[in-house]
This record gives sequence, C-alpha cells and structure tokens, in this order.
Amino acid sequence: MIDNNFDRRDFLKVLGWGGAAVALSGCGNTSVEDGKETVVSYVEAAEYVAPGISVYFNSTCAQCDAGCSISGRVREGRVLKLEGNPDSVINRGKMCGLGQAGVQHHYNPDRVREPLLRSGDRGEAITWDKAYALIAEKLNGVSGDQIDFLTGTVSGHTKALLGNYLESLGSKNHFVYEAVSPAVQRAANMKSYGMEMPRFNINKAKVVLSFGADFLGAWVSPVHFSQQYAEFRKGVDGQRGVLVQVESKMTLTGANADRWLVVRPGTEGILAMGVINALGVAGLSLSADVAAAVKPYDKERVSKDTGVSTESLVKLAALLKDRTPSLVLLGSAAEGYAHGSQNAAAINLLNQVLGNVGKTLEASAAVPFPQIAPTIGNTAALRMVNNRLADGQIKVLFTYGTNPVFTAPSEMKFKENLGKANFRVAFAHYLDETALQADLVLPLDSALEDWGTLVAEYQPEGVQISVQQPLMEKLHPETRGMGEILLSLVKQRQPESYKAFDDYYAYLRTAMLKNKSEFANSAMDDDVFWNGVLSAGIINVGGNLNKLSSKLSTNIQLPAPAEQDAKYPFTLIPSVTANLRDGRHANQPWLQESPDPLTTIVWDSWVEIHPKKAAELGIVEGDIIAIESKNGTINAQAYLFPGIHPDAVSIPLGRGHEAMGRYAKGYGVNPFQILDRVFDGETGELAMHETKVKLSKVGKRVIVVKDEGFAGGAQHGKKIAMTKSSDQVDLSEEV
Amino acid sequence: MKDIREDIAWAKINKDVLKSLESPRNLYWVIVIGALLVFSVGVGCEIYQYNVGMGVANLDNPHVWGLYIATFIFWIGMSHSGTLLSAILHLMHADWRKPIYRFAEAMTTFSLMTAGLFVMVHLGRLWQFYYSLPYPNDRGLWPNFQSPLLWDAMAIFTYLSSSILFLFVGMIPDLAICRDNIHSGWRKKLYTVLALGWEGTDRQWRNFRVTYLTIACFLIPLAVSVHSIVASDFAMSQQPGWHVTSFPPYFVAGALYSGCAAIITLFIILRYVFKFEEYMTLPILKKTVRLTFAIAMVWTYLNAVEFASVWYSHDIASKDVLIQKATGPYAPYWWGMIFCGSVVPLILAFKRFQTNIPVLLVTSLLLNLGMWLERWMIVAPTYSHGYYPWTWDHDQFPSWVQWGMVFGSFGWFTLLFMVFCKVFPSVSMYEVKEMVYHRSLASKKLEVSGSQESVEGAH
Amino acid sequence: MSVSNLLENWAEFRHTHPVDDVPHDPYKWAMSIDLDACSGCNACSIACYAENNIPVVGKDKFEHGQVMHWMRIERYWPEDGREFPDQGATFLPMMCQQCEAAPCETVCPVGATNHTADGLNSQIYNRCVGSRYCSANCPFKVRYFNWYDYPTTENVWPAEMTQQLNPDITLRGKGVMEKCTFCVQRIRAGERAVKNEGRILRDGEVQTACQQVCPTGAITFGNLVDPESKVHQKWKAQQVELTADEQEKDKEEGGTDLRGYRILEELRPYPSVMYMERVRESAI
Repeated sequence: MIDNNFDRRDFLKVLGWGGAAVALSGCGNTSVEDGKETVVSYVEAAEYVAPGISVYFNSTCAQCDAGCSISGRVREGRVLKLEGNPDSVINRGKMCGLGQAGVQHHYNPDRVREPLLRSGDRGEAITWDKAYALIAEKLNGVSGDQIDFLTGTVSGHTKALLGNYLESLGSKNHFVYEAVSPAVQRAANMKSYGMEMPRFNINKAKVVLSFGADFLGAWVSPVHFSQQYAEFRKGVDGQRGVLVQVESKMTLTGANADRWLVVRPGTEGILAMGVINALGVAGLSLSADVAAAVKPYDKERVSKDTGVSTESLVKLAALLKDRTPSLVLLGSAAEGYAHGSQNAAAINLLNQVLGNVGKTLEASAAVPFPQIAPTIGNTAALRMVNNRLADGQIKVLFTYGTNPVFTAPSEMKFKENLGKANFRVAFAHYLDETALQADLVLPLDSALEDWGTLVAEYQPEGVQISVQQPLMEKLHPETRGMGEILLSLVKQRQPESYKAFDDYYAYLRTAMLKNKSEFANSAMDDDVFWNGVLSAGIINVGGNLNKLSSKLSTNIQLPAPAEQDAKYPFTLIPSVTANLRDGRHANQPWLQESPDPLTTIVWDSWVEIHPKKAAELGIVEGDIIAIESKNGTINAQAYLFPGIHPDAVSIPLGRGHEAMGRYAKGYGVNPFQILDRVFDGETGELAMHETKVKLSKVGKRVIVVKDEGFAGGAQHGKKIAMTKSSDQVDLSEEV
Repeated sequence: MKDIREDIAWAKINKDVLKSLESPRNLYWVIVIGALLVFSVGVGCEIYQYNVGMGVANLDNPHVWGLYIATFIFWIGMSHSGTLLSAILHLMHADWRKPIYRFAEAMTTFSLMTAGLFVMVHLGRLWQFYYSLPYPNDRGLWPNFQSPLLWDAMAIFTYLSSSILFLFVGMIPDLAICRDNIHSGWRKKLYTVLALGWEGTDRQWRNFRVTYLTIACFLIPLAVSVHSIVASDFAMSQQPGWHVTSFPPYFVAGALYSGCAAIITLFIILRYVFKFEEYMTLPILKKTVRLTFAIAMVWTYLNAVEFASVWYSHDIASKDVLIQKATGPYAPYWWGMIFCGSVVPLILAFKRFQTNIPVLLVTSLLLNLGMWLERWMIVAPTYSHGYYPWTWDHDQFPSWVQWGMVFGSFGWFTLLFMVFCKVFPSVSMYEVKEMVYHRSLASKKLEVSGSQESVEGAH
Repeated sequence: MSVSNLLENWAEFRHTHPVDDVPHDPYKWAMSIDLDACSGCNACSIACYAENNIPVVGKDKFEHGQVMHWMRIERYWPEDGREFPDQGATFLPMMCQQCEAAPCETVCPVGATNHTADGLNSQIYNRCVGSRYCSANCPFKVRYFNWYDYPTTENVWPAEMTQQLNPDITLRGKGVMEKCTFCVQRIRAGERAVKNEGRILRDGEVQTACQQVCPTGAITFGNLVDPESKVHQKWKAQQVELTADEQEKDKEEGGTDLRGYRILEELRPYPSVMYMERVRESAI
C-alpha cells in the first residue's frame, strides 16, 4: 500500500498520467497490487501453451515510431514471426518490411548482453548493481544542469519515468534527436494549421500533390498511408486518385506517381507558388494578399526556376482545380534547405488555397496525457547538445535510442566533443558507434522482451496507446528494459515514491489500472481489464481534437534558385530509404538483403547519377566515385538512375557503419559524415539537402550487387509489367 | 596400292602387339603420372564442391547448368568415334579401320565413363543419384519417365553397357592369343578367364562373327539415339535457343564430328607412341581425314539451318539469344566455335594437308576445341538471355572448380586409356592379320584355297 | 508398387495440363496481383523470408546471383526514351506462378516437382537430386537452388537466429531446389482445421504471408473454383480463364478496358497468377 502522505497529484505524475487533460475518476481506488505477479515464461509451459500450436500475442512494433500494433506468432516459447494486429487503426493488420525485421533485432547475435564498463579500449562486463552504483557515484555532486539526456523520440511510460528521473536529478536537459524527422514541417504546420501533425486523408483526396513526401516509403506512418493510398487508387465514386510527386530525386512514392515532376533542388516552394498563380489564372478565386504574393510567380518564371515545363504547370493547375478535394503533402525534399521553412509555408499555402483544410487535412486528436505523449525528435536538439558538450557544460551524458556519432555531420565534431563529458552512459542494443564512445553501456531488452507503452505522433483515429508486452522470455538474462532501468535509477533518487513497484511491470500495470475508468468501465475487475489490455495490445482513447485553424500566411521569402557552385557543382541528396532510415537497424540482415525498391541494390551504398550527366562525366555503372563536399569525401559505386535531377546526386542513408555488428559493419558509406553545416533559417534544423559536392572517378570499377539483371528495367517487348491509361479502364466495374 | 607390307609375318604381328603389353617405357610412366595429377585436380575440385555446395562452381540463378553439362555432351560426342569406326565401318567392310578400331572402341567406353562422371558431379545431391534409377521399391516411387534427363541416363547406360560388350566380344580372339603367349602371373589368369575358352574352332569363329555383327548393328541406332536423346534435353525444353527441332541430327553430326577429330588425334599419337607406323598408315589417315571433312560440312550446314530457322521465324526470344551469342559476352567463344568448327576443317580439303601429320594434329585438336565450345555455347547463352528479361545475367563465368573438373576429366580419360593399353591388346591382331592376308591375296593374285586354315593356324 | 500399376495409372500420376473435364475440386489455389496497388515496398518479400525460412545469403553470394528470394520485386522503367521517368516506375512482384502445365514438372528426372490436386506446383525437397532441370526450363526463373548448405553457413542463422525459424517449414540443405509454395503449410494447416468441421475453407481463412502483410492489399489469394472467393470474382471480372492461352483483353485490337493478364501466356504454362495492369492518369 501506498503511504497516505503520498500526494495524489505526485502519484499520478509518478504513474505518467500527471497533468492529464481529462477528468479522472474518484480517489477511492488507490489500492495497488504490490507486484507479486511475475511474467511466466512460455517455455515453462503455461496451461495455454500447447506444444506445436502457435499462439499470437499482441504487442507494439518498435522499429520506428509509427506505433503499429503487431501480433507476434509464438510457439514453444519462441517468437517466430511478427504480423500486423488487425484491430490497430494505424496499421490494420499490415506491416512493412522494417517492422517484420523486428525479430531479427530481437534474435540479433550482436546484441549487447551485459553491462559494459570502459576499461581502456575494451568493455569490461560488470553487474547491474555495480552499474547502478557507478551511475549514482558519478552523479554525486553533479548539478542537474550538467546532466543531459540525448534520446530518440520517446513516448509512453518510458518517457514519463524518464521525465521523473530527470526531475529527480534536477535536470531539464532532455534533448530529443532524430536524424531524419519532418521537424521543419511541424513548425510550418503549427503556423498554418495550428497543430504540428494534422491528419492526412489521402483516401479522400482525388488528387494528391506531394512535394517529396515519401508516404509509401519512410514518411511519418508509411503502413497507414499505404493503405490509404490503396483506397485512393481505387478512388472515390470510381474516380481513381491521381498522384503527382514533385522532387529532385525519385522516392518510392515518386515511382508510384502518375506524374513525377523533377524540380531543380530547392525550388519546391517556387513551384508551389507557381501552382497557386496558375490556379488563379485558371479561374480559382484567390484572396487579394495571396494573389499579390504569388504575382511574381508567373508560369514562365517558375518554369525557368524549377525546370518544370509551363505545360506541366498548367495541366497540374487544371487538374487541381477540376478534381477536389485534393491534398498537398510536403516531405524532406522540400524541407531540407536553408529556406526549408519558406518552402513548407508555400506548400501549406497551396493546400489552404485549394480549400483542403478541413476536408482532406483534418484535425488530429491531442494525446490527453502530456506525460506520455510523444516527444518528437529533431536535429536542432543535436546541435544544442553538441554546443553544450563543446562548451564543457555536460558532465554526465546519457544516450538512448539514438546514434549521434553515426548520424552527426562530421563537421560538428560530435565524437570529439563527446570526450569532453566526464561520464557517458549509453543505453544500447548494439555496440554502435555511440556506445563505443561511452564509459558505461547498459544493454537493453529487445522490444519483444520488454514491457512498455508507445504513443505514436501520427494518430489517424483518436489516440491509440500501443501496449508493448514481452512475446517471450529474455534471450539474454543480463539485459534490462529501458523502463526497468529508469525505474531503478529513479528509485535511487526517490526511493519512497517508487518503493511500491518491484519492477517496471508492476509500475505499468498499476499505471494502467489507475486510469482504468478512462479506458473502460471503472467497475470492471482489475484483472479482467488488464488481461483485456494485454490481449488487445492497444488502448484507444477518444482524445479531444486539436483545433484546426487555417491561417493564410503570405509572408513567404523564397530565394532565387541557387547558382551552380563552380567548385561543388552537385547537390547531394541523402535519401531516406524505407528499410534503413537513419541506420539504426542496419544490422538486421533481411533489411540489408532486401533490395532497394528503386535501384534493387543490396548490401552496399551507391551514388545515383542521372545517365545524361554520367555520360558527360564518362561515368558508367559500378565506377567508384569520390563524392567530395567541403567536409569530407566518401567513395561509393555509381548507379545510373534516371529519376534524379541532373544537377543532383543521391546517396542513401543508413549504411556505412564502423561498428554495430556483423551485418552492418563495413557495408557501404555514411553520407551523414560529409553533410555541410547549413541550417534552416527559422527552425535551426539541419538542412539535409544543402550539401554541395563534386564527383571524381577513383579509377576503380566494381560489379554493382543488385537484383536487377543485365536488361535493367527494360522489358524488351515482352508483356511483363503492363500499363494502361486511366481513360481506358473503368475501375468502378472492377471487383 | 601397297600400303602395308604384305610380307609381314603373322608372327611378327603378334610379337609387335604383344610387345606393347610388356613392361612400359619411361614415357608411359610419365604419361600415367601426368594423367593422375590432372585427374587429381578434378577429384580435388569435386571433393571441395561436394563438401561446400554447388555454389563454388560459380553457377547461379539463372545459370543453373554450366561446363559440366557442356563437357558431358562433349564426351558423349567423343564416344561416337569408336562406334563409328567399329560398327559402321565394320558393316561397310572398310578394312582400313582394322588396326585402329580397338582404340576407338576403348575410347567410346572411356568417353562414356567420363561423360557419366559429369552427370554425377553436376547433381546437387550426388549422394541421392540413385533416385533417378527405376529401381523397384515398396514406396512406389519411380523416376519421371517424361523427363529427357531420365531418357538420357537410360540411353547412356545402355550405350555404355553395349559398347563394353562390343569391345569385349571383339577382343576375345586376341585375348586368346594373349593367354597363349603369356605363361604366368595375374595376366595369365585374367586372359584365361576373359578368353572364354576360345580355341579358334570354326564353330567359335562363326558364332563370333554373328555375335559381333549383331552387336555392331545394335550399336549404330544406339549411337544415333543416345545423342538425339542428349539433344532432347535441350530440344524438349521450352527455352529460347534450346527449343530447336533440328537439334537431334545436329547433335549427332556434332558427335560424329568430334568423334572423327578425336580419332585423328589418337591415330597420330598412338602411331607415334607405339610405333605402329606399319599398320596405321598414312592412306588410312587420309580416309579418316576425308570423312572428317565431310562431317564438318554437314555440321556446318546444320548450324546454318538452325540459325536460318531462328532468323526467319518470329521467335523473338530465340533470335535474341542468337544475337547475344554473336555479340554478347559469349561472342569470343561463339565465334571461336564457328572458326574452329567451320573454318579450320577447310584445311582438310587440301590434299597435301590430308597426310601432313603436324597440321592434322593441330587441326584435329582445334576441331575438338570447337566442338567443346559448341556444347558450351548451346548450354550457357540461353541462361544468360532467356525469356524473362529481369533475370538476364551476362556476368556469370565458370569458376576454377568447373574448369578444374573439365581439366581433370582429361586426366581420367587418359588414365583409363593408359591402363587399357597395358592390359589389353590395343591393336586387333586377328583383324590385322585378316587384312594383311586379304591384301596379299589381292596383290599377288593368289588362289584363296587354304587361306582360312592359315589364318587360324597363326594363332 | 508394381510396374503394371505404374503403367495403368500413368495418366493420373501426371495430370498436368489444365483440362475442363477434370475440374479442380474442391480447391484450386490462385492469385491476383494488382500492379496499380503495388507500391514496390518489398514488405511481401521480407514476409516471405520470415515465413519460409529463406536464408540471407550475404553480399558475395548475392553478387554471384545466388540470392534465394522466392518473391522478388521487379522494377521496370517506361521505355519511351524520355529523359526522366515522369510516369514513375512499375513494380512487379514475381514468384512461382504455380503453372497448370508447368514446364518444370515434366522435366524433373525424379519427379520431385509435381502438380497437386488443388493446383499447386509442389516441390519435394527430399526427392530432389539437384539436376536443376526444372529451373533451366522455367520461363520465369523463379526457382532457387541451394548452392550452399545455408543452415550451416556462417552468419546465415547464427546461434540465436535459429530460434526464429518457422517450425512448419523444413530447412533446405545444399543441393535442392526451392521456390514459392503459395505458403502451402498455411493451406494444409487450414484444410486440416476445417476438415474437423466437415467443410472446406472459406475465402480469407488462409492467407499467404505476402498477401497478409501487403500494406496496399495488392495481392489477393484464394480458391479459384469457389464462386464466393475474391480471387474468383477478380478473375471473372477480368475475363481471365485458367485454361485459355489467350484472354479477352488480348483478343480485341487495341485492347479492352480489362486489366487482367498472365505473364508469358503465349508459352502456355497456364499460370495461376493473374496480374492487373498498372494504370496511369491520362489527364496529366
């Protein structure tokens, strides 16, 4: 039982429901199970485990932050395969390749198995007791503002406990860093729509105009959007949705577009303004200030600046005008410039002008519990931590869910600055580049062994709290869940408040039961409720809708397209692929061997060059090319790729690890290293597409390892993959 | 024409031939050891491949067949030399075949044994090879009688057993000579058993003639069928470049072609090694060369037929394969095949080269190189450029393991030959005697009376 | 079994050609793949790896063309000679087409690949001797050979990763051929389950791994002879006949508004997979 003098509000805060925007039920129900339950191993066959029969348990995918609910196939106490949970509104039973590879994260042979303490260049295995004692010792006498946490996106009760721990340390320095994150867009959306991440109804749109948003590949919640996309293609009233993609390097979504418009890198905003202008010309009524703002963007100028033909521009405007509602999306290709915020503002303005706000772009629900609501990462956080490190302001640094040594541009000298902290603790699955720099590495449970809750940023319907439960016994006895570790750490500081919780499971269960009335009938038996939660794997909370506003901001300053740099003539586009993202899952062999959808290359990095440009430079496929920016050079094999602007080259992110494990180390190169240090003027985000490079042949040629054969993407007259024009089919008659 | 000295005493024939069975010269041992070394390369490769997997051969999807199958067809082709000489020419009473047909028959048998090895090493699961045999079993599992590969296995097995029988039966009178001239040791026992109690009686000679003739008649259609069936492996498939109606005769022609070329090579080598100049005369060589030339032209014609029919058909895929053969990564080998198979044999049309030993040796080797390339060019390009463009793969090249086994197979073949030379009379004594006798009859216009007795008496 | 039995029942042993007078009953498994929905994301391919214990061969072997992906996603570019592929790419999931008159079946010397009564092209790993003739004769080249002994190859399934293997599927050793099975283990498990209820499988009760995972629902799998099944309805709507070698769509000059077709149909393998053409907007 909890001590009576324990303040109720504090108690809620301890449990992660603090500051809840909802009314909680009466205070009568304060009894808490004292954690007597234990997790029963499926190996010690429980009565519901029959040898030879698979059982499915719902949990949550932790491969990215989209929060897909999964259904793990478990047999004889081993998890075999991850499938989608059909009841989840996010993924509705579907999965992406990255998510399915979660089992390979779990069974990965290169996982860290015990706490490691730096001893010279090596890690020495120590006990958890010693590790905790060490942390306590190192924190002793360090003031709160010298203790920093650098994490990836966090949500759920891990975040709540982390917040509580930080508070107990007197630190406010929780920096949330994601190397690839639509952070510029969030700021722009906040201005335009009053919320960072509204709901996008691709399935309700007749036309989707996407400025580099790879919603079928790696953007925000790809599994959810893929399903919307399928509906969109089937169409509303039999009218098939039309996808127009504007970008400088073709993404997976671009490859699925009806019209892929290649633009000069960085001119996405100009094109958006040009489309508004063309819409006005086509007869759409524009408000006076909008009309004034887009006046300079007549089609000739826009065509000249962007490289998109006037004909395409006019056709696009006509299509957008004719077929409503439409939806305009914006992705990393538009955001990644010094004027990224301006691009975003222009694109959002187009959405507003088209009247899509409130139709295909709707208000999302606010997570009613701020303590567990997701804190979304950005790159500005890295910059701040880096500056603090450089200035010697950080004595103790904790890293979790992020690998900044790998993802920080080398010019930031993050690795060097990291050395200035006295004590570095990495919570890690692998000995990745960042963990290698740490003084203490704490091994984490895999997502399939751990308890937890996860709240996704993008919520398609209400708010779904995804529950994570172990699908099997721990593979390695000396790993701990993040929640478990945080609970132990916070207990060091505030033993009184947390003494009721023997372990994180007890904490989580108590927390859930505490809010039972919010999720279910408060009269429901605790066990019934709890089992129901675990069985479903998700809890849906209505959540109040954010207030959708549509503020037309016409104060958009778009620079003229950059002149070509004589020394560094190419724009480097570091591309985000669906499987490898920022590289944290590079050690999962399925992902390495799954061909990149567009180039079909496996196990290696490549640099995409337009065939015309390659011919000019005398480059053929497989030539090793030195890609040199102001900040360094990397060598990658050339791949001639028609879906890229001739003035741009593209290298995928995620490969080029120097550590991490047998499937990641030594495969490919890491373009993060050579990024120029240019930031978005407004948000301070790293402008990922602003790096200028030059190419030179190294004089070596390799065979590009890819699935595509000698014929490339050609069919040589054989009717294999066939295409039909939309006016020749009647989709409404199809089954 | 006086091409063999008629006055060679029959005893000298015996003595010469039997001498070849006696203790070997140093060169013999050099060749044997050389052959063993070459063979052991192949064995080493096979052990490696067996243990690690077929992947070490650098085969892949779609190149699932490679040099093993190509070389298999090559050796099957070589086997035709023996059948051609022994059976066909026997029936045609071409007596110049007599001094060399024993070699040719041995070559048939050994080529088939070598070819069989390639079928084995080609299998992904060599240890389960017996699944392809129709042995009775209580699970009711039978091989698939629809599969050309099964026909292949059966045809080769039949051909091999028949040719062993043919070789053996033809040797019986000579084995008796060996038995009678060697008086101790394991050879005596061996020849005693194998001679089957041959005494040279009239009845035995009559039965012998009939049996030999019957097997010869049986062997000719087999020789044609075995290569037609090998051709069916390709012609019965659906792949572009393989699905060619003219393949069976084309394969038979190719087989005869490489067989003839091999005879020329062997003829020259044996003539030198065993000092058989007296029996293996240049006029005989000349006839063989002319035959080879004729077959070369037949083969060239059939090639042209194949290309032409592909060209004027509307089979785009087959046409693509043909164009790829001529212009793609296999072009050097393909043109090499055309050169060695159709251009080089033109030399043979010139009379002065028809008996020029060095030229003939080089030519015959080139012809067989061309024939080997032909087999490779039938197997490989179809894989790299099949029906499905996505799987087109022009980068594949056989690994050293494949080459090692191809190389090793020559060691194995030579080894078998060398052993044979020292254990069995490699020139047919009784037939040479017959030939000498007939020719002396013809030139001296003697009466035929008593000749039969004399022939038998020579034993 | 006697030879006489073999000879008497020959026709039954080798029923391969699609004939209307011997209808499939009660099942004929078939697929329909909508290329307009397929986004090329590769989720199906990874699902196939997970479900069917497909080894990850690594970079070197991939380079040698020894990859084992039963389901591969092919990416085709428009061949209009323009500077940019401004109508995007076309993605095509390709796996064993489970042909009714499968070229691979007739050529196997040991009968390791056969047609099942429910229209699957089965592969018996135990029987396979590895002659690879089936792959040689496959027009689609969707058969994958175990060039190495992957279960014992380093880093294919290191210690812990073996625990992930699907116990319903054998691990294939070196020297055998393998290919897409339409997730036959799921079909058989489903059939067994409903047999107890005395009925046959209903549409949707068995899903293939690729179908189950496909985020855009591009893959439809089911029983073609069941009029209730989606796959039956799709084939019917597209007027694609299992036993025909030319479909309605191709009969008319200039085509119809039908999208269904089968790949390399002119070779008459009678595939069990119908593809539906990708659509591209004409107004832009």
